This record gives sequence, C-alpha cells and structure tokens, in this order.
Amino acid sequence: MPKAAPLQVLIVEDEAILVMDLSMMVEDAGCMVVAEAPSLPSVAALAKDLNPDLAFVDVQLAEGSSGLEVSTLIQQRWPDTFIVFVTANSKSVPADFGGAQGVIPKPFSRNGIISALRYIEQGIRHPPPAEPMPPSFTPAPALAAQWTSSTPVHR
Amino acid sequence: MKEQDDWHLTEAITHALGRGDPFAAAVRATRMPMVITDPAQPDNPIVFCNQAFQSLTGYAREEVIGRNCRFLQGPDSDPATVKAIGQAIADGRDIAVDLLNYRKDGSTFWNALYLSPVRNDDGSIQYFFASQLDVTERVEAQATITAQKEVIEREVALRTADLKEALEVKTLLLHEVDHRVKNNLTMIGSLLRLQARSIADPQITEKLENMLQRIDALATVHRRLYESDDLSHFDVGAFAANLVSDVVGASGRTDLRVTCDVDHVEIPSESATAVGLVLNEILTNAIKHAFSDGRAGTLDVSVKRIGDRAMIRIKDDGPGLGGAQPPSEGLGFVLIKRLSRQIGASIDWPEQPLGTLVELSFPVSG
Repeated sequence: MPKAAPLQVLIVEDEAILVMDLSMMVEDAGCMVVAEAPSLPSVAALAKDLNPDLAFVDVQLAEGSSGLEVSTLIQQRWPDTFIVFVTANSKSVPADFGGAQGVIPKPFSRNGIISALRYIEQGIRHPPPAEPMPPSFTPAPALAAQWTSSTPVHR
Repeated sequence: MKEQDDWHLTEAITHALGRGDPFAAAVRATRMPMVITDPAQPDNPIVFCNQAFQSLTGYAREEVIGRNCRFLQGPDSDPATVKAIGQAIADGRDIAVDLLNYRKDGSTFWNALYLSPVRNDDGSIQYFFASQLDVTERVEAQATITAQKEVIEREVALRTADLKEALEVKTLLLHEVDHRVKNNLTMIGSLLRLQARSIADPQITEKLENMLQRIDALATVHRRLYESDDLSHFDVGAFAANLVSDVVGASGRTDLRVTCDVDHVEIPSESATAVGLVLNEILTNAIKHAFSDGRAGTLDVSVKRIGDRAMIRIKDDGPGLGGAQPPSEGLGFVLIKRLSRQIGASIDWPEQPLGTLVELSFPVSG
C-alpha cells in the first residue's frame, strides 16, 4: 500500500519565531507546511485552491484581525479543513469553538504539538483516532462527541 | 343632674377650690391635650377642650368650642390620614395616627392623635374623646434618620459601583497579564527549540532539552494558578498529576506506566514555582536514570497531607541507588537542594529493596 501523502498544514500566526518553531515541528511530524499567514487579509490572499487538511490558527493576529474571523473564512473557502486554535487565551474561544475543531493552548511543548498532530492526522484519515487523545489537545464539543463516543469503523 | 352636663358644670370650677368632679378636674389639669366632641350635634363639634390643648394649639377655649376638629388641618396635612380618621369616626372605632396640624399662628406640629368613641350603657356613641400629643421632635428625628439613611445608601451604592468597576479592571488586567506571561513562555520555548536545532553536540542539546522541560514546568505552574479562582493557593496534588503526565509525555516514552494517588493539598502560591521545579527535576531524573536504555517500568506518584505538611512520594522500580548517596552534582541537584531549602522542605531518599523512592515534605502554610 503506498504511503499516504503528508498532511498539508496552514499556519496562521503573527509571531515570526512561533511560525518558525511550529513549521519545523510540523515537518518533524512528517506533515507539510503549505502556507503561512500572519493576518486575516493574508489568509484571504492565499490561493483559492490551497485546500489545506489542517490549519493552526492563533486568535490574536496582525493588523488587528482575529483568528475567529480567519476560522470563518476558512470554513467558507475550504469546508473540509480541520481548524485548531493555538492560543494563550482559550477563554476568548466561544463555547462552540465557532465551528473550529479544537484548541491547543499556549505555551505548547514539542511533545504536545507532535502528539496532537499524530492524533489529528489519525482522526482525519480514519476517524475516530485509534490513539488516546493527548492532553495538549482540547476538542470542540461537537468533535468530542464524534471522536470519543463512537467505536472505530472497520472497513 | 345628668352626667353629660358635668362638663359644663365643671367649667366653672377651678381645682384650686377643690370642688366638683375630681375626674373632670384631672382632665382639665393634665398636661395631655384633650378634646371631647359630640357626634349628636351637626358636624360633630368640640364640646370640651382642656388647658393643655389651648396651650398646644394657641386657640382660646371660646375659639374652639362648637367647631369641628378639622380646623387644625392645613395644606400639608396628609389627606389619606384625614380620610382614615373620618372613616374611624363613621365606623365608631378608635384610631391612632400621626397628623400634621396647624396652630393659630400658622406654625405646624406633628400631632400623635388618639381618638376613641365613648359609649353609653345602651352601646350607642355619646362622645368622641381625642388626645393629642406634640411628637414633632420624634417625627422630625425620624425624617432626619430616613434622609440620612437615604444619603448613606446612595453613598454605599456609589462606593459599591466604584469597587465593582475596580474589580472588573483588576480582573481584566489579571487576564491580560496571564495572556502575556503565556505568550512569553511560548516565545522562550520556541527560541530554545530553534537554538537546539542548530547545535550538533548531543550533550548541549540535552541541556537545552532539560531547560525546555523546566520552562514547561513553570508553564504548568502558571496554568494551574490562573485556572483556579483563588490565586493565593495552589493545589499541589492536581499539579503533580499534571506534571507527571507532561514529563512522561515529553520524554516520548510510551513504555512507562504511571500511577497517581494524589489528594487535594493546598499550599501557598509563593511556594508553587519552587515545588514545581523540584518535582520536575525529581521526575526527569527518575525517567533518565531508572528507565535508561529503553528499560520499561512503573512510576508511582502520591501526594498526601500529613498534619500541617504536604508529603510527595515519587517511586520508580528501576535499579535504585544500591546504598549509594543520591547524586549531588549537576544543575538539577543544585536546584533540588536550594529550592527545597527555600520552601522549608526536607528531601529524603529512604532505602528501598527495589527502585528509588524520593520523599519531599514541606509545610502547607507559609
């Protein structure tokens, strides 16, 4: 069986150092960074056919824009993209996560990011994930209901 | 002689002469203002008033007799009270009210009026008896108290609003500080990870990894402190459970079994950082030495309160110290020694038949 193509990841973060660190950890996990954007306008300017599998989205972004707006835009443009807020301000994320799938709280650790990526990749490819949910990942209520209560589907 | 004529008769009597009806003389001479009205006559006029009533109202007897009591009322007399008096008279029952009345000179006084019917043997009302008492001082004092109470209540409401606003500002500020601390910790972690990538020497890389681990421990302390509503206390039990899962997770080891038996043990938040770093060093060491070369095993962590001390036990099933002294070199052990001293903790490595046990005990209150 051919190896699956690497997970395509979009990073929306305005802090350059965090973008570098996150990108390298994403690549370490065997995924691929397809684009980086520091703000809502930058996300809007991305190629329409980018269609990433996963987006890591900070909540407070450059040019006074918000990750919640970015999440809405991504849902309109690429409805299949799995959205995860990466934020130091989890309280600013609405109770229903605004349609996003989860949160990774800052500060994050290398292990936290890598294990969350592994878990999410499993969930995207063969839901629900076989591995237990890592503590670094908080799923949205809707996703938690979908991924934690059902048993894996055998095909 | 008919009883009802006694009033008229006694009119002519001065008590100095010591004659006549002694009850009538008493009513005449008492300091309590009193009137008697006759409901049998048109408009229920006053048929008797005593000296005290004349002194209170400023009216002479001849100005009073034959008039209805309402001549004492004026523009500021409360109509509802007046109506209540009228109703009591119509119903033939007694009533006690405070009513603003007017003297002859136009000045006002608060009249504590008590009015009651006087019935004869067949039960029909013969007279109304009314006593007046000047309670202006009491009513005014009450009004003053009410006014002062209102002023104070207004003041309290204003102060409460101020305090609420100050609290909101403080909460907002705390939230902002929390957010910034987390962002800075994230940044420090990222910088260290980026640096670690550019270093080929595995020893230096390992030291950087240890540093990252310490910063993660600080982040866990911070997170647990800010997640609780009480910033002055810190649950070291929940923290230890959290930290052990972080440290084992960070090691990337999936062959280590962890058991946690932790109680809710609160310690002052000033000690939280030191306890966090000490625990981090002990746990990191256990994983590094007890489970080296990929040896699988079990790590038992317990947090209990014993008297006024918190007791943290970390036990591994590795090769143990074998009677040797615990290692005393390296930054890790310096941190354990110095930070333990800082929080008044005693740290001990009791001999074990199997593995290593570390006991950390420290006071729960500052």
